[in-house]
Amino acid sequence: MKNLSLIYFVLFATILSCSQPKKQNNHEKETTEGFVTDTPAKADIKADNIQSAVYGYYVGMFKASIFDRDKKPSYANKITVSIDSLKDKIVYGHSIVAGNWRPFQGEWSTLDNVLLVNAKEPGDDRYDGVFEFSIYPESQIISGIWKANDKNLAVTQREYSLEKREFTYNPKLELPDYIAWQDLYDQNNEIVDGAEFLTEDVLKVNASIQPLKKEDVENLYKGDLEVIRNSIYARHGYSFKNRKMRYVFDSAVDWYMPVSIDVRGQITDLERQNIELIKRYEEHATAYYDAFGR
Amino acid sequence: MKMLSQNISVLNLKAIIRVAILLVYAFFCYLMLQITLQYIPVHTDVAFLRIKQDYISMQHYKYAFFIHAYTAILALPAGFTQFFLFIRNKFPWIHAVTGYIYVSTILLFAAPSGFIIGIYANGGLYAQIAFLLLAILWFWFTLRAVLSIRKRNIVAHKQWMIRSFALTLSAITLRAWKYIIVALFHPRPMDVYQIVAWLGWVLNLILAEILIYYIYKKDIK
Repeated sequence: MKNLSLIYFVLFATILSCSQPKKQNNHEKETTEGFVTDTPAKADIKADNIQSAVYGYYVGMFKASIFDRDKKPSYANKITVSIDSLKDKIVYGHSIVAGNWRPFQGEWSTLDNVLLVNAKEPGDDRYDGVFEFSIYPESQIISGIWKANDKNLAVTQREYSLEKREFTYNPKLELPDYIAWQDLYDQNNEIVDGAEFLTEDVLKVNASIQPLKKEDVENLYKGDLEVIRNSIYARHGYSFKNRKMRYVFDSAVDWYMPVSIDVRGQITDLERQNIELIKRYEEHATAYYDAFGR
Repeated sequence: MKMLSQNISVLNLKAIIRVAILLVYAFFCYLMLQITLQYIPVHTDVAFLRIKQDYISMQHYKYAFFIHAYTAILALPAGFTQFFLFIRNKFPWIHAVTGYIYVSTILLFAAPSGFIIGIYANGGLYAQIAFLLLAILWFWFTLRAVLSIRKRNIVAHKQWMIRSFALTLSAITLRAWKYIIVALFHPRPMDVYQIVAWLGWVLNLILAEILIYYIYKKDIK
């Protein structure tokens, strides 16, 4: 009886393998997984199996570890590293940081359940470099370093420890309370004059869910308006090139993760209208708030 | 001899102050001209109008706004020349011509249009009341000045004209106060608007009353 069921099973597996070769592969992996041994071949198969667990976005801070202070570096930016494919010892992925979307490609190997990756960016961008990192599938973490190709950049090496996280657009995401009264930094990492800080007003409106009227925005400071408007882009995972906004969202907003450098197609009609309204008051404040006039 | 030199220095000081006032006034008139020029050619989505889009589509607001922007500026130079004694004494026709320009600008265009745009002023009810009151008083003082000179009552004419011009100057003082308050305290945009809507002309009027009191003290007694 036992033998018979085994025969049935083999038969069934064979039929499956004929119709769906890929699935047969998976099946084999599952079967072998029960008998994990130390043979190299087995380890490879195991690594194959964890592909799906490894694929996805990893988010965290991209911190400068070797830099030139005089060149006004951006010390820490939030980065998303995406592992897109692991095949035949070749890894494909991309990273999004500081408004820069860059693919990478390289080699990977395994060592004690850890994936070791060494991957290059194409090299045709000024800020391209080489990633060297380890992927820890169990703790779902990536950590490693990145070295710039151009050794004259403000930052030539960065380090990071990134956590795996899925991206979903959620209009209900709110700015954290502690963002109020934070200083706004300009493009050179310096605090802009006294007017440039956030107030508690920045927490009052969510421009992704409520249709704003002029009464909602006309009495707000320019800095608050700018952050309220850019929160819309942040919810869509927009990666900010603008340092001022990058510092706000990268360092102070936990839910924020950069996944795209163009979210225009994702902005809802409500958000589009709010952006237009807020932008008007921002521009008016820029031109007239501290000028002789109205 | 000592008396003479003192007289000369006093004379010089007075002359210097007069020239300084003239230059400062010319400078502010130039700034006001710059503000007016933003609206030439007619465009409904520039400068201040960028945040008045709810109203600019209304015909009466649009007409009132542009009439106010184009005509009210005339009252500044026209009004200023009225207070020069040598013009009044030596060229009374200039005084009369610029006087007609001043009063007709205000009574026919600037004050009525100011009233209409005041209804929709930024800063809520308190600011709106301030601007409406300003428009009414500006019209009223100017009208009284015209009526009194038609009766050849020069003293009353002068007094009403001082009041009228004090309110004309609010175009400058309102914006100057806004500049100062923002530089010092960084208030929220509409908060500063509510403050200057009142401060811009009430203080001028108080100063005008004090001036009138001191100039005509003897007459009053």
